[in-house]
Amino acid sequence: MNLANMTDYHHFPIYSVMVLFLGAFIIASTGSKPSKDPKNPAGFRAWIALCATALSLFFLGSLVKPVMLEGEIISYWMGSRAIAGGYAIGIAMEVDALSLFFALLIATAVFVSAIYSIRYMVHDECVPQYYVLYCMLAGGVLGLVLSGDIFNMFIMVEILTFAAVALTSFRTKVYGALEAAFKYLVVGCMGSTAILTGVIMLYAQYHTLNLAQLANLVPGTMNNATKLAFAFLYIGFSTKAFIVPFHPLAADAHGAAPASISVLISGVLTKSGIYGIIRLTYFLFQTMNLGSMQFMLVFIGSVSMFVCVTMALAQHDFKRLLAYHSISQIGYVLAAVGLSTSLGISAGLYHAMNHTLFKGLLFLAAGAVLHETGTTDLGKLGGLSKKMPHTTVLFLIGAFSISGVPPFNGFASKWMIYQATYQKAVESNNIGFLLVTIVALVTSTLTLASFVKVTQSVFFGQMPKEYENVKEVPFGMRLAMGILACLCIVTGLFPKTVTGVLTEPAAKAVANVGEYITAMGFKSNLPVPNVTFAQVGVWEPINWLLILCIALLALTIPAVAGKYDRVSEHGGPLGAAIEMVSGKNDQPTVDENGEVDTKYQLFYGGEKNVYSQVGGGDLFWGFKHNWRHYFDFMHNLHSGIVNDYALWAVVALALAIVYMMIVL
Amino acid sequence: MTANIFLNGLQYLGYILIFPGFLFCFLCGMLLVGIDRKLVARMQKRVGPPILQPFYDFFKLCGKETIVPAAAERTTFLVAPIVGLAALVVIQLFIPIHGFTAFSGMADIVVILYLLLIPALAAILGAAASGSPYAGIGLSREMVTIIACELPLVLVLLAVAKTVGNALGTGLCFSMSEIAEYQLQNGSLITKFSMIPAAIAFAMVIPGETGSHPFDTAEAETEICEGMHAEYSGAPLAVFKLSHAVKVLTLTSLFVALFFGGIGTGIIAFDGVIVFALCVVATALFISFVHAVTARLKIEQVFKYYWTVVSGLALVSLVLAWYGM
Repeated sequence: MNLANMTDYHHFPIYSVMVLFLGAFIIASTGSKPSKDPKNPAGFRAWIALCATALSLFFLGSLVKPVMLEGEIISYWMGSRAIAGGYAIGIAMEVDALSLFFALLIATAVFVSAIYSIRYMVHDECVPQYYVLYCMLAGGVLGLVLSGDIFNMFIMVEILTFAAVALTSFRTKVYGALEAAFKYLVVGCMGSTAILTGVIMLYAQYHTLNLAQLANLVPGTMNNATKLAFAFLYIGFSTKAFIVPFHPLAADAHGAAPASISVLISGVLTKSGIYGIIRLTYFLFQTMNLGSMQFMLVFIGSVSMFVCVTMALAQHDFKRLLAYHSISQIGYVLAAVGLSTSLGISAGLYHAMNHTLFKGLLFLAAGAVLHETGTTDLGKLGGLSKKMPHTTVLFLIGAFSISGVPPFNGFASKWMIYQATYQKAVESNNIGFLLVTIVALVTSTLTLASFVKVTQSVFFGQMPKEYENVKEVPFGMRLAMGILACLCIVTGLFPKTVTGVLTEPAAKAVANVGEYITAMGFKSNLPVPNVTFAQVGVWEPINWLLILCIALLALTIPAVAGKYDRVSEHGGPLGAAIEMVSGKNDQPTVDENGEVDTKYQLFYGGEKNVYSQVGGGDLFWGFKHNWRHYFDFMHNLHSGIVNDYALWAVVALALAIVYMMIVL
Repeated sequence: MTANIFLNGLQYLGYILIFPGFLFCFLCGMLLVGIDRKLVARMQKRVGPPILQPFYDFFKLCGKETIVPAAAERTTFLVAPIVGLAALVVIQLFIPIHGFTAFSGMADIVVILYLLLIPALAAILGAAASGSPYAGIGLSREMVTIIACELPLVLVLLAVAKTVGNALGTGLCFSMSEIAEYQLQNGSLITKFSMIPAAIAFAMVIPGETGSHPFDTAEAETEICEGMHAEYSGAPLAVFKLSHAVKVLTLTSLFVALFFGGIGTGIIAFDGVIVFALCVVATALFISFVHAVTARLKIEQVFKYYWTVVSGLALVSLVLAWYGM
């Protein structure tokens, strides 16, 4: 094999998966002796992991041009096998724009999180093993989305599930870590088994595991066994995406896992579940033209959206709160994708991408807080903005993005989702989809409320005494957060470029199943659809930002010229009161008669003693009071007992089977 | 060519700084607040301040010293009011006045709904940064009020989008300037009976969004010392007062643009005056009158009121619009 052949981009998909697994094996083979450097206990192994993730990102990045822009579908056979006797036997990869889109998200999140891990994992034991598992997890997810056959998808699901379970309980000393991992293991294995059962049922009937060939054979020959397989596969991928009713697992897992792993679980693992559901519904079974299937996905998406955002409002732990938001945002993605319109798919994928970016950023910020203070309890934290100014700014960018505040990326994609749902409602003349628009709009505001709570109770408000010596996190961690924050802003400001380069090719690939089948060498009669992405709304973030900047400038100039922020430097009762509070002058002010003047202490010194009665949990009392029955009900429902969650999984599977049997 | 670009730039700068930007917002907003205060006083059999009192207050406050509490995060505390005001003024640029929109085709009604969050968010962040427990309570109530108002606003805007979309044949219309155009052709939306509940709902949202009686729980001078503004003084407080005034103008003019569009002459100067006159009427009816006859509600009552009564009204409109009535 010569060099020119090896650098052919058709090999790049397998390279990108291979470097990660190779990295894992190299790290594992170097033993577990920690290095002497206190700033990097894993030593060179961390750099191996970083290089592997960077290379993986590079390989995938260089596929953007052929796959996204030129519309090529790369089909790749390992060991030069191919179709024999009409059946696709062997291991195949098939990379279309949809696969590449998810692969790029995954590679980016994995790379950024690897940068962050180096300085974040300094306090832990057995860090070398962490990187082994890290690379396995990354390789597993990447393999899943690039794979061209359904059995390999199952293998990758197994790899990523076990790596994720092990990483969830990596900090075994953290309260609840083992329990969370156990719950994840139980329900995760139920999901994996469901996928395997579905795969077996398909193989028994069609004698092939190749996705393209199955997509060619299955839709015309639906019988009860294929419907059963569909239900099993759907539930299997749902557990990976943590959508309702599997959301409590995510909360437990995120609460216990290291922040760098939370980024992967929320930004990467859930995406693999969504990817699986898209492949299943649009390609394998091609059922998305049915109203009943659209209803199912949109309904589950909307329920996930709303239930999880209200669950998040009730949380007292920073990371658990983020975990619930994670599922809430996945709900947006699922609802948009389930609309089965090209604008909906494009909007859903756009939101999936944004979710990876802003949720990654938020988890990393939570990790930074945990790293410096040792807790993520909202009730104990406060006032960190003075000690960690950069983290605060980066967190706020993430919070604005997820809450859908213009002009950040969350708004751009949610805005497309609102339009897509409303347009769908008008086109299909179905008022149900309108309800989804309303739920999505309200959920967005509730998300904002929840992040106001985090901002107030972690970064602003009063600072407890024990955090007076807290420092800003090391540069490596801030760099990782900074990369994601920049991406959040850029993807928010240039929505048309992002959709044009990334999500619209992917949405076209979803619509064009025939091409996916023919690229693998099979004959397909599916027509090439005419895809348009017309939007009714208008939103020009760049122009808006320009105007805002001019307006800001117009305000700032007089403000600065007028000494907007002047504070009296000398005497005067007000100045003295300030100095007293800031500790410059501990003597109470004495007025002309020689009496102690306590008037200003009441106003400006009072808050030092009056501790905020507003605890993290009760910040939105006015809202929660009206919904108290709902909140009580949800609180009781999420019992935290794994038996319950396993039961939910069984019930969900049963419901899915019954539903599929009836409607398909 | 260069001269052309230069002139265009100058024109847009004029829009931002003079009309309908800063100067217009400043004068009209302050006047609205002055009229409101005078009217409330008269309704309560008081003499009341002169109509120009908000101007006097503003300039007096600007001359006062700014005090930054020791517990505050200085930068956020001082920057928040300015960002909030700038964002509000920018929204004003997107709201049509008769047929004229300073910057059309840049943001539509749902975007405007979300742009309205930015000033509120700026105030909340400023309050949070002040480190005061009063501000903490204030911001929590403000956030709940925002959630409360969001649902009816969303319903109203969707109802308007559907009604105009039905008439235009596209099924949906989010564009502000198209809504204005439609009303120029077919008369104000308020003349459609399906839009009347929506208009009432929107009118009820105005006092909630601007934080006036009986929905001023977030400021509640008597219990939590103006809540979010508890620690503000001097010029930043003046900016907040101005923001409040501009917000009154923004919401009333949005109300006018949505439901009373199409009333005008085609000459910008006159249209500006007509819109302002309509804003005054809206302020008098929905802010001053309500203020004068009601007492402050508790925060959970505010929430309940908006999510039941007001949302119900808006929903009626939406359903009527959906079935093309």
